[in-house]
Amino acid sequence: MIIEIISLILLWFGIYYIVSLSLNMEFGYAGIPNFGKALSVLVGAIAVGGILDRLLILYFGVGGDFITGTTYATSMLNDLIASNPIVGIGILILAIILASILGFIVGAIFILPSAKLKEDYLGVTLLAISEAVFLICMYNLNIIGGYYGISTPDILAFVPGEYRGWAFTGIVLFIAFLVYLFFERLLNTPFGRVLRAMRENEDTVKAFGRDIMMLRIKTMAIGSAIGAIAGALYSLYTVNIIANAFTRVEWTFFPFLMVLLGGKGNNKGVALGVLCYVVVKVLLDVYKYNLKYTLNIPFEPVWLSYMLFGVLMLLILYYKPSGLIPEKPIITPPMKKKIMEISNK
Amino acid sequence: MEILRTENIVKYFGDFKALDGVSISVNKGDVTLIIGPNGSGKSTLINVITGFLKADEGKVYFENKDITNKEPSELYHHGIVRTFQTPQPLKEMTVLENLLIGEINPGERPLNALFYKKWIPKEEEMVEKAFKILEFLKLSHLYDRKAGELSGGQMKLVEIGRALMTNPKMIVMDEPIAGVAPGLAHDIFNHVLELKEKGITFLIVEHRLDIVLRYIDHLYVMFNGQIIAEGRGEEEIKKVLSDPKVVEIYIGE
Ligand SMILES: Nc1ncnc2c1ncn2[C@@H]1O[C@H](COP(=O)(O)OP(=O)(O)OP(=O)(O)O)[C@@H](O)[C@H]1O
Ligand SMILES: [Mg+2]
Repeated sequence: MIIEIISLILLWFGIYYIVSLSLNMEFGYAGIPNFGKALSVLVGAIAVGGILDRLLILYFGVGGDFITGTTYATSMLNDLIASNPIVGIGILILAIILASILGFIVGAIFILPSAKLKEDYLGVTLLAISEAVFLICMYNLNIIGGYYGISTPDILAFVPGEYRGWAFTGIVLFIAFLVYLFFERLLNTPFGRVLRAMRENEDTVKAFGRDIMMLRIKTMAIGSAIGAIAGALYSLYTVNIIANAFTRVEWTFFPFLMVLLGGKGNNKGVALGVLCYVVVKVLLDVYKYNLKYTLNIPFEPVWLSYMLFGVLMLLILYYKPSGLIPEKPIITPPMKKKIMEISNK
Repeated sequence: MEILRTENIVKYFGDFKALDGVSISVNKGDVTLIIGPNGSGKSTLINVITGFLKADEGKVYFENKDITNKEPSELYHHGIVRTFQTPQPLKEMTVLENLLIGEINPGERPLNALFYKKWIPKEEEMVEKAFKILEFLKLSHLYDRKAGELSGGQMKLVEIGRALMTNPKMIVMDEPIAGVAPGLAHDIFNHVLELKEKGITFLIVEHRLDIVLRYIDHLYVMFNGQIIAEGRGEEEIKKVLSDPKVVEIYIGE
């Protein structure tokens, strides 16, 4: 039991860390209040459910409607994977590539309507677009099966059932680590610096020759590509996609909470924020009924976590707006060298 | 030689005519000053010249190129940088980072950022230059302080330092010494003179004539969105300042 809980915590940690790192670049660094973060995760699901599944249906020549088609096509693929692990890994890589390309494109387009908007309206616009796409995916069953759901390939069909959870956790953690290295490399640079400058003061950045819109587009394209990878991983982990799972609470609000809790603008801080959140989330999930009956809570225990995290968000914003590990200045290697020189004098 | 010229700039805010046919001419290497009472349109004029506001009528020429209503980011590439009436520091960033934003590094492109060799050489150059400028402005000891923690006067200096990172052709400053102690104010203008020696042109809005008078080459007086007097050189500037119209405005204030 305890070992399963740990595996679950680590798995969620990995998935949410990927999402939160990308949100941290968008919001923590660049100051873009991306209240539509959930859209990028949903795009990952679309890459797997809407595109990859369709390719499989074509490949295996499965007839009939889309939703049942996915069941047949994925089970045929799973048989292949069970006897040939390489296929599973190939599908994983393909899913990641599809998701990041689609995420990149959607992110770049998603921000365009905001060209003339100041920050306040930016957030609301992104939220509205994200919600619209979510509702369309929910009620149009032809995209990713909507509320009805579709099957996705089991990339670990070759792993015995009792180890599947751990194996998937390992994959997710490995990818999350790569994403962390990517962002550290990408952001401890003049790019990270100009994003922070944009967050601090757009007029100054404009007066010094930068095109704010281009910076926003690049940021959202990269952020959404990474968010989509998390969405793809999640869709592959659960071996099916139900549109209901991609709500703004789960994939926008909670990632904001993790970034704010850990420390916006600090990738290590965000790891701590994600970990805190995930531990509480998993424990609440596992013990929700025990809690409900021992504490005699007169409502659905799911609400408990929403309320708890809502209050937590307010407390952080009020008492510790810079989070558990505050942002550090970006010190590039030449800056470091020069600072050493000066302090040696 | 003329570097900047405006022709009959008109700017409305709703029905209100904030600029009413403003034509000025700025010579290369001069320190040109615009004075005028509150609300006379000085900042509006500067905002039009630097692209932060769009003119309703009229033209702006820089080095004989039409730059009317171009984006600020584009004007930077023509060699025009500016400071703001209210300092716009990047508050949560250090003084050094604030300066480094003055120049564009190829590593600001995400793809380049991933490869050290694409941006480290430029970065080294920029860091050297930034520390030289900090020394010049006597701010070296503050390099790792957050800009938001500085005094108003220090913030103004950081803004000037940032403007210097680019080797601009023209620096436009809106009230660089408002709220700055007289000693520091003179320091700032001594820096302006040093930079002028290097061939940089200055267009400055400032109220505090007592301090800046000795540093300027060219003076414009604005009132109600119009230029009402102009003088180039010590003699003419003196004459402008004793002009009854100008005296009245200043005493009227
Ligand atoms: N964005 C704006 N919207 C509406 N009116 C404005 C705007 N900006 C300036 N004004 C008005 O235009 C007039 C000129 O303003 P401006 O800021 O150019 O004056 P100024 O000469 O810089 O004054 P100060 O010395 O107080 O800085 C003022 O009456 C001001 O109220
Ligand atoms: Mg003004």
